[in-house]
Amino acid sequence: MRRVLYVILVIILVIGLLKACIKRDIPESDTISTKNPSTEIKITYPEDQKNVTINGIDYLQSQASIGQFGGTLTSSTIGEGPKTFNPFNTKDNISSMLSEVMYDGLLTTNPVTGQPIPKLAKSFSISDDGKEYTINLRHGIKWSDGKPITADDVVFTWRDIILAGLGNTSIRDSIIIDGKLPTVEKIDDYTVKFITPEPFAPFIRMLSTPIAPKHIFEPAVKKGSEYFDTFLSTNTKPENFVTSGAFKLKEYVPAQRVVYERNPNYYIINKNNEKLPYLDKLVYLIVGDLNNEVLKFEAKELDVINLQGSKVARYKAMEPHSDFVIYNLGPNTGTMYLAMNLNNRKNDKGNFYVDPKKQVWFNDLNFRKAVDYAVDRKNIVLNIANGIGEPLFTAESLNSIFLNKNLKPYDKDLEKSRELLKKSGFKWDKQGRLYDKFGNRVEFDMLTNAGNTEREAIGVMIKQDLEDLGMKVNFKPIEFNSLVNKLVNTLDWDVVIMGFTGSPLEPNGGKNVMMSDGTLHVYNMRPEKDKNSPRYDFEKRIDELFIKGALATKFEDRKKYYDEYQKIVYEEKPFIYIYSPTVIVAIRDKFKNVFPTSLGGVTYNIEEIYVGE
Amino acid sequence: MEIYKYIVKRILQTIPLLIIVSLISFFIIRLSPVDPLAELRLNPSVSQETLQKESQRLGLDKPIIIQYGKWAKSFIKGDLGITSNGEKVSTKLKERIPNTILLTIIVIFLTWITGIPLGILAALKWKTSFDRILTVLTSIGMAIPSFFFAVLLLIFAVKTGWFPIGGLTSANFADMTFVGQVKDIAHHLVLPVTVLFTLSLAGLQRQMRANMLDVLDSDYVKFARAKGLSEFKVIYKHALRNAVNPLITLLGFEFAGLLSGAALTEYVFQYPGLGRLILEAVLKSDINLVMASLMMGAIMLVMGNLIADILLIITDPRIRVKS
Repeated sequence: MRRVLYVILVIILVIGLLKACIKRDIPESDTISTKNPSTEIKITYPEDQKNVTINGIDYLQSQASIGQFGGTLTSSTIGEGPKTFNPFNTKDNISSMLSEVMYDGLLTTNPVTGQPIPKLAKSFSISDDGKEYTINLRHGIKWSDGKPITADDVVFTWRDIILAGLGNTSIRDSIIIDGKLPTVEKIDDYTVKFITPEPFAPFIRMLSTPIAPKHIFEPAVKKGSEYFDTFLSTNTKPENFVTSGAFKLKEYVPAQRVVYERNPNYYIINKNNEKLPYLDKLVYLIVGDLNNEVLKFEAKELDVINLQGSKVARYKAMEPHSDFVIYNLGPNTGTMYLAMNLNNRKNDKGNFYVDPKKQVWFNDLNFRKAVDYAVDRKNIVLNIANGIGEPLFTAESLNSIFLNKNLKPYDKDLEKSRELLKKSGFKWDKQGRLYDKFGNRVEFDMLTNAGNTEREAIGVMIKQDLEDLGMKVNFKPIEFNSLVNKLVNTLDWDVVIMGFTGSPLEPNGGKNVMMSDGTLHVYNMRPEKDKNSPRYDFEKRIDELFIKGALATKFEDRKKYYDEYQKIVYEEKPFIYIYSPTVIVAIRDKFKNVFPTSLGGVTYNIEEIYVGE
Repeated sequence: MEIYKYIVKRILQTIPLLIIVSLISFFIIRLSPVDPLAELRLNPSVSQETLQKESQRLGLDKPIIIQYGKWAKSFIKGDLGITSNGEKVSTKLKERIPNTILLTIIVIFLTWITGIPLGILAALKWKTSFDRILTVLTSIGMAIPSFFFAVLLLIFAVKTGWFPIGGLTSANFADMTFVGQVKDIAHHLVLPVTVLFTLSLAGLQRQMRANMLDVLDSDYVKFARAKGLSEFKVIYKHALRNAVNPLITLLGFEFAGLLSGAALTEYVFQYPGLGRLILEAVLKSDINLVMASLMMGAIMLVMGNLIADILLIITDPRIRVKS
C-alpha cells in the first residue's frame, strides 16, 4: 500500500515539474475560436527590376521599397549539408542551392510569370529561326574580388567547363541535340552568342546556369577533370571564393551551418542607388531531420521554415500571437503517382518480368481506369496531408506553366470502376472477390519505399480503396535501395507508389520518364537489350510530342504539344497521379520585402529582403 | 622485459583479428542490397553516362573481391580513400573526431569522478535510505532509453528557451571573443552531456557498489577489521584497491567507446560528431567511410583492452605472478 502511494507521489511530482516548464503556445484568454486566422495575406509584388546605368555601370535596380542595411536571415537545409561549393560539380539539391547562392546566371526566371528574364546579362535576344541566342552583358560590373565580369568569363564557363564535360555533365547531356552540342562565341567584350544546331527551346532555361570567374577557375580546369572534381570542395578556404551573387561564403562548419556574408560588389541596387543586399549575413543551418528543424524554428534559432501538412493547423492557430507570418505558396513540383508495370517482355533468363496473367490486367486500359476511379484522392489529401494538398490528375505539376487546365478532376466512382471491369470480363464471386475472365483471382503486390511515412499511409488507403473493388492487394513497403533496384534493374514488380520532382518551367526535364527509351520510363522500362522492342501507340505519340515540344520555339506551340502529352497520360493512365502537397512557409514578420511566389519560393529576392522593426 | 614481450605478442595477435573484422564488414556492406547510386538513379535529370561514370569512379563495376583488395592495399599504405562524394575520408574524420572526443571525454571524466565515490558510499551505507534513493535514481538512469531522454530534454529546451536546440556552436560563433566561444560550447554541451552522463553514471555506480560489497564481505577485510585497523584504513587501503580491479577492464572499454560511443544521442542533438557521420554513411553504403570507422573502432577496442591489461599487470601483483 505504501509503495503504491510512493509511486503516485513520484508521478505527481514529475507531472508537476513538466507542467511548470511548459509555456503555453497560445495565451489561455485567447483561444483559437476568438480570432479567425483565415484571413489570406494579399501580396503586392513590386515592379520588375530595371536596368539603370550610372557612371557607365549597368546596374539592375530593385523596385521594392527601400529598407535598412544589416541583420541576418537564418534558414536551414535538411540532411548532411553541402558536398561541394562548386556549382558545376553538384549532384544533389542541397549542394546546388548552397553553391548557387554565390553565383548568378546570365538569366533567371521571373518568379511570378515563369518567363526567362536577364540577370547577370543586361539583355538577350533570340533569332527568328530560334537557333541564335545573343547575350549582352552589363558594363562595369565586378566579381567580389574587383575583377570585371566580361564575355571571357561566359565563354570560358560554357566552352571549357560545361560543354567540355567537366564536373556534373547533366546540363551538357540535356542539350545534346542529334548528337551535336551548341556552340558559344565571343562577339566583343560584352556580347556573347550561343548557337544551337537545331531550334531547341529548353536551351533558354540552361542560360540560368551560373557563370564562373575565369581567373579563378582556369588553373583548375587546366589540371584536368580529376582535379576539377575536388576543386572548390567543402574544404576550400572561404576567402578563395570569388563570386558574382549577392553573398559569398564566410564560414562552413561541417554538420552545423553555412554562413554567407554580403558581396560588396553586387550589381543590384535599390531605388536610392545603394548597393544591395541589405542583409549582412545569410545563414543556413544544417539540420538532420524535420523534427529538429521544427524545434529550432520554435526556439527562434531559425527564421524560415517549410511546414508539413500536419503542423500547419497548429501554426495557423499560433500565428496571431507570434512573430511569424504564414504564406501559402500553392502546390509543389512533386508528382506522387501509382504505376502498374506494363512490361510484357522477358528477361535474360527467358522468364517474364511480370507474371503473364497480371500482364493481361495491367495492359487493359479498363483495368487501369477502374483502379484510377477507385482511388479516393480527396480522402487521401484530407487524411494524409491534413487537407494541405491538391488532388492531382496530370503529369505536369499543378504549378507548371505548361499545365493542361482542360483536364478536369473527378471524384472516386466505384460504380464506374465496376462497369469498366465488367466490360473487360472481370467477375465477382459471392464474397465480392474479383476474378478475371480466365478465372484468376486478381491479386498483386503494391510496393513503395519503407520509411517514407507519407507514401506508406497512401499505400494503406489505396489498398483499402482497391479492396472495395474485390482486388487483393499485398502492400509491401520495402527498403528504398531495393525498390530502386526493382524499378530500374530487375523490373520484377507489379504496382508501385512513388513520386518524382518535376520542373514547373520545363516539361522536357521529364523526358527520361516519359519517353519510351528513357532511363526512368518506370512503367515500361527498356533495358539495353529491349531498346528496339515494340512500343504502345500512346508511347509512340508521347515520344513524338516530346521531340516536337523541344524543337518548337514559341511558347504557344510548345504548350500545344505538352497539352496533348498530358491528355494522353490522363486518358491512358500509365501513371495514376494521386496528389500534390501544398507548400506552406512560415517566416518571421521582422523581415520585409518578402514576396513569396509558387515558382520562386520565399527567398528568391534575397538581396531585397531586409530586417525592419 | 617480460612486459614488453607481452605487449608485442598482443599487438601481433591483433593483426589477424583486424583482417577478419575488415573482411566481414566489407562483405556485409557490399552484399547488402544498398546501392550508393540509388538516389541518382531516381533523379530524372541524371543521364546514363553520369551513372556509368559514377559507378566506375566508385569501383562498383568490379567484383567484390577485387574491390576489397584495392581497399586493403590502400588502407595498409595509410590511405583511407575517398567518400562517395569524392571527399577524402581522412579529412572527413578529422573534422569530426575532435568534437566527439570533446563530448566523450567530458562524459567519461564526469561519470568516473562522481560514479566511483557514489558507488563506494552506496556500498558503505548499504541498505540505508541513501543507498535506496541512489538505487532508484540509477535504475531510472539505466532504464530510460537515451534517444527518448534526449528528445525530452530537447522539448524542455524549446519550451524554456534556456538551452540551444542541438549543435555545438551558435551561428555567430566566429565573431565571439575566446571566453565567449568557450561559454557558447559549454552551453551547447550541457544537454548531450546530461543524457550520456545519466546513462553511464548508472552503470558505473552500480558496478562499483557491487564490487565494493563483494570485497567488504571477503575474509581479508574481516581479518583487517578483527586486527583492529581503523575503518578508514580498512576501506581505502584494503577494500578499495581490490574493488577497483574490474573497473580497470571497464576503463579499457570506455577507451574504445571514445570515438564510437554516442551515435543516437549525437543524432538527436544534431551534434557534429563521428556517430552522426557514420550513421549517415552506413545508410548510404559509403563504403570507405564506413570501413574507416569500423576499423578505427576495432583498433580502439583492441588498444583499450591492451591498455587495461597492462594497467592490471601494474596494479595487481597476482596477475604479474601468474604471467
